[in-house]
Amino acid sequence: MLKIIIPTAMLMPMTWLSKPNMIWINSTTYSLLISLISLPYLNQLGDNSLNLSLLFFSDSLSAPLLVLTTWLLPLMLMASQSHLSKETLARKKLYITMLIILQLLLIMTFTATELIMFYILFEATLIPTLIIITRWGNQTERLNAGLYFLFYTLMGSLPLLVALLYIQNTTGTLNFLIIQYWAKPISATWSNIFLWLACMMAFMVKMPLYGLHLWLPKAHVEAPIAGSMVLAAVLLKLGGYGMMRITILLNPMTNQMAYPFMMLSLWGMVMTSSICLRQTDLKSLIAYSSVSHMALVIVAVLIQTPWSYMGATALMIAHGLTSSVLFCLANSNYERVHSRTMILARGLQTILPLMAAWWLLASLANLALPPTINLIGELFVVMASFSWSNMTIVLMGTNIIITALYTLYMLTTTQRGKYTHHIKNINPSFTRENALMALHLLPLLLLSLNPKIVLG
Amino acid sequence: AHDVKTVGRLGGGDRDGKMSEIKKKIQSILPGGDWNPLYDTSHLPPESSDVVIVGGGVLGLSVAYWLKKLEKPRGAIRVLVVERDHTYSRASTVLSVGGIRQQFSVPENVQLSLFSIDFLRNINEYLAVADDPPLDIQFNPSGYLLLASEKGAAIMENNVKVQRQEGAKVCLMSPEQLRNKFPWINTEGVALASYGMEHEGWFDPWCLLQGLRRKVQSMGVLFCRGEVTRFMSSSNLMKTASGEEVNLKRIHEVHVKIDQSLEYQPVECAIVINAAGAWSGQVAELAGIGKGPPGTLQGTKLPVELRKRYVYLWHCPQGPGLETPFVIDPSGTYFRREGLGHNYLGGCSPTEEEEPDPGNLEVDHDFFQDRVWPPLAQRVPAFETLKVRSAWAGYYDYNTFDQNGVVGPHPLVINMYFATGFSGHGLQQAPAVGRAVAEMVLEGHFQTINLSSFLFSRFYSGEKVQEHNII
Repeated sequence: MLKIIIPTAMLMPMTWLSKPNMIWINSTTYSLLISLISLPYLNQLGDNSLNLSLLFFSDSLSAPLLVLTTWLLPLMLMASQSHLSKETLARKKLYITMLIILQLLLIMTFTATELIMFYILFEATLIPTLIIITRWGNQTERLNAGLYFLFYTLMGSLPLLVALLYIQNTTGTLNFLIIQYWAKPISATWSNIFLWLACMMAFMVKMPLYGLHLWLPKAHVEAPIAGSMVLAAVLLKLGGYGMMRITILLNPMTNQMAYPFMMLSLWGMVMTSSICLRQTDLKSLIAYSSVSHMALVIVAVLIQTPWSYMGATALMIAHGLTSSVLFCLANSNYERVHSRTMILARGLQTILPLMAAWWLLASLANLALPPTINLIGELFVVMASFSWSNMTIVLMGTNIIITALYTLYMLTTTQRGKYTHHIKNINPSFTRENALMALHLLPLLLLSLNPKIVLG
Repeated sequence: AHDVKTVGRLGGGDRDGKMSEIKKKIQSILPGGDWNPLYDTSHLPPESSDVVIVGGGVLGLSVAYWLKKLEKPRGAIRVLVVERDHTYSRASTVLSVGGIRQQFSVPENVQLSLFSIDFLRNINEYLAVADDPPLDIQFNPSGYLLLASEKGAAIMENNVKVQRQEGAKVCLMSPEQLRNKFPWINTEGVALASYGMEHEGWFDPWCLLQGLRRKVQSMGVLFCRGEVTRFMSSSNLMKTASGEEVNLKRIHEVHVKIDQSLEYQPVECAIVINAAGAWSGQVAELAGIGKGPPGTLQGTKLPVELRKRYVYLWHCPQGPGLETPFVIDPSGTYFRREGLGHNYLGGCSPTEEEEPDPGNLEVDHDFFQDRVWPPLAQRVPAFETLKVRSAWAGYYDYNTFDQNGVVGPHPLVINMYFATGFSGHGLQQAPAVGRAVAEMVLEGHFQTINLSSFLFSRFYSGEKVQEHNII
C-alpha cells in the first residue's frame, strides 16, 4: 500500500518544484503512473482480503474503488487545465495540491483497516473538497453551497464518532478484519436503535439519501469541474463503501430498522428522476441523476443479499465513471457558451461531431444500456429488491423508464436540432477534451467485457 | 437599492446605522437570506446571466418579456436588463408622441404594427400580474390621416395597396371627401389622403413601459441600474466558404459600472442584446463593431445615432374637435389632439441642414415659429390663433442608412443581437420586434414575422429598406 501512498504524497513537492510550463504535464503523467500501480490490486484471490499491513488492506470491495480513485486524478487534472489557465502560478499549484491531498486521503480511506482511521480520513476528505468548492467555484452561491456541504456531512457523522468509540469500548477492537468474526447479533433495544441510526446516518447523508440530499445539487453546480468530478465519482461512493462495511456490525437489526430508509430511497429514486425532467441547468440535471442512482445503491446495501452487494459495487463503479464523464461534457459546453442553460446551446452535433459521439456514449451508459456495467449493477439490484418484496418492481421499473427519458432529453436538447446562431464560432474540441472523454469511457466499455472485477 | 451610503463613519457617531447593519447581517445569515460574509453586494448585478439586455426602454423590456414568455421550460433563461437611468429622463420611449399606425410602405413594418396594435388592445391579457390593477393604456383609436400632394399621390396609392394586402384597414379620400369629413382642413395642395380606419391612433407610452416593467419583473427578470462600459470578448480567426478570413468574436463578459461609483461588476453572459436606443451606436462601438477598414464587413459600423426632435403642445379653442386624427402634412409637419381640452401636440422633422445639436434636450422655440406654425396654419386655418403651452425634446435612434430598424444578430460578433434603430417608430413596433428578437434568440430564425430584410448585413451589402412618404 505504501507503494501507492508515498508516490501520491510525493506528487505534492513535485508540483511545487516543477517549472511553470511543466506542472500540468508532470502531475498528469505521474498520477497516471500511480493509477497503473494500483491496478494489480484488482487481482483479488477468492473470498479473502489482501492483508498488506496492520493498517491497510484491500479486498474485492475496496480494490475497484481504489482503482477508480487513482484513475480519476489524472482525469481531474486534465479537465481543470482550461479554467485555471488565467490564474497565477501559485494558485494553480495550490489547486493541484488540494486535489492531490484529496486523492491521498481517499486512497487511505478506501484501504483503511481500522474503522476509526476510516472515520478520521472520511472527515478529512471534507476539507480539501470544501476549499476547492468555495475558493474556485463560479458564483457567489458557492459559499452557501460549501456551507450546506460541510454542515450536512458533519451533522451526520458526529454521531458516527460516538457510535464507533462505543463499539470500540464494548468490542475491544475496531479492526475490520477481526470484527467480522467478532460481531455479535444485537437486540432491538432503544440504545441499539440509536446506535444503528448513529452508525448509518453519516453514510446516508453522504450517499445521499433522498430527504438529506439538499447539499448535493448545490455543491455540484457551484463546484469547479474537478470538484464536481471527484464529488460525483468518489465521495458519494465513500458513503456506499462505509455502509457496506458497517452493516456487518449491525445485524440483525437492519432488517427492521432499514424500512424507513428503504422507503425514502425507493420513493426518492423516482422523485429525483422526475425532477431531472424539469431541470433547465445542465449540471443540476446531472447532479439529480446522481442522487437517483445512489438511491439504488442504498436500497441494495440495506437489503444485504450477496447479489445486491454485487449490484451495488458494480453500480458504484459504473456511476462513478458515467457521472464524471457527463460532468466533463457539461463543462466543455460551459467553457464555450458561458452558460449552463441547456436550451441556449443546441444542435451541437452539427458543430462538434466527435463530442456528440462522446455525449451519445455517455448518455447510453447513463441509461443503463446493455452490456455496460451500469446495466449489470441495476439489474442485480432490481432482482434483489424484487426478491425482497415484489412491489418494489413497480418503482424500479418507473425509475428505469424515467432515467431513460431524462437522459435522452438531455442528449436531444444539447445535440440534436438546429443550432442557435450564437454558438457558431465555438472552439472545436481540443485533443485534451477528447482524451478526457475517451479515458473515462474506455474503462467503462472494457469493464463490460469482464465485469467480474467490479462485482465484488 | 441603497442610494445613500454614510461615508466616513468615524467611531462614536451613527449608533443607529451600526445597529441596522448588524440586524441586516443577522437576517441574511438566517435561512432564507442570501449570505455573503465578505461584503454586501445586493446593489450589484449577478455575476452571471444568460442574456444581458443593454437598455431598459420599451424595446429592451419587450425583448425581455418575449424571451421569458417564449422559453419552453419555464424559468430556464436568466435575463438581466441593464438601464443607466431609472427615471427614464432622456429615454426616447417616454418622450415620444405615442402614435401607432399601419400606414407604412414596407410590408414588414405594416405587419409589425398590426401585431403591436393587437398586443396593445389585449394588453391586459398579455401583461397581467396577479393582484395588480389592470393597465389603462388610453388608446385613442382616432386613426392617422396622411395627406399627399400631386407628386406623392401615386406613391400613396401604391402604399395603400401594400397596406391593404397585409390586412390594414385604410381608405383613400379625395379632397372633396376630406372637406366633407373634416371641415376644418384646408385642402389646398392636397391631391389624395389616406385615412386609417381601425387600429391606428395614439396611446400612453409611459403606461406601456410601466406595464412591461412590472410584468417582466414578475417573470423573474433582474434589473440593474448601471452602465455598460466594456465587453470582454474572445475571438476566433475563421475562414469563410470563399476562403477569406474573418475574425468572429464572442462576448463572454459584460462590465456593468454602477451609477455614481467606480465599482463595476463583470457579468458573465452568453448573449447580449443591444436595445440601447439612441445610444446603440456607442454600445456597438464598445463591442468592436465597425473597427476595421471601411468597406469591409468588419468596418461596417452600426449607423444609429442620436437625433433631437422637438414636440410642442399648444392650445387652440377653435381647433378641430374629438374626431381629429393624427394628421401628417405633405410638408412633414404633424399634429394630433391631446386630451379633451382643445390641446394639440405636434412638430416637424427638420431637414438634414437644420438638424439641431443632440448634445442636450433644450427646446428651440424659434423652430416652432419658423418651421412648424406656418404649414400648420395653412393646413388648419383655425390654428392661426394658437398659443404654445409647453414643449419638450426627445431623441430618435436615427438609422442614418435607411431609417428603419436593425433586428437580429451581428454576423461577426456572434452573440450580439440588435433591437434598435427604428428612427421614430420604435415605440409602436416594440411588442412585435421584441417577439421577433426572442424568436431569433431561442429558435434561430424568425417564426411569425419575417424580418430578414432588417438584419445587420444589409449595411454591408447596401440593400436599403427605405420607406416612401414617412416622417
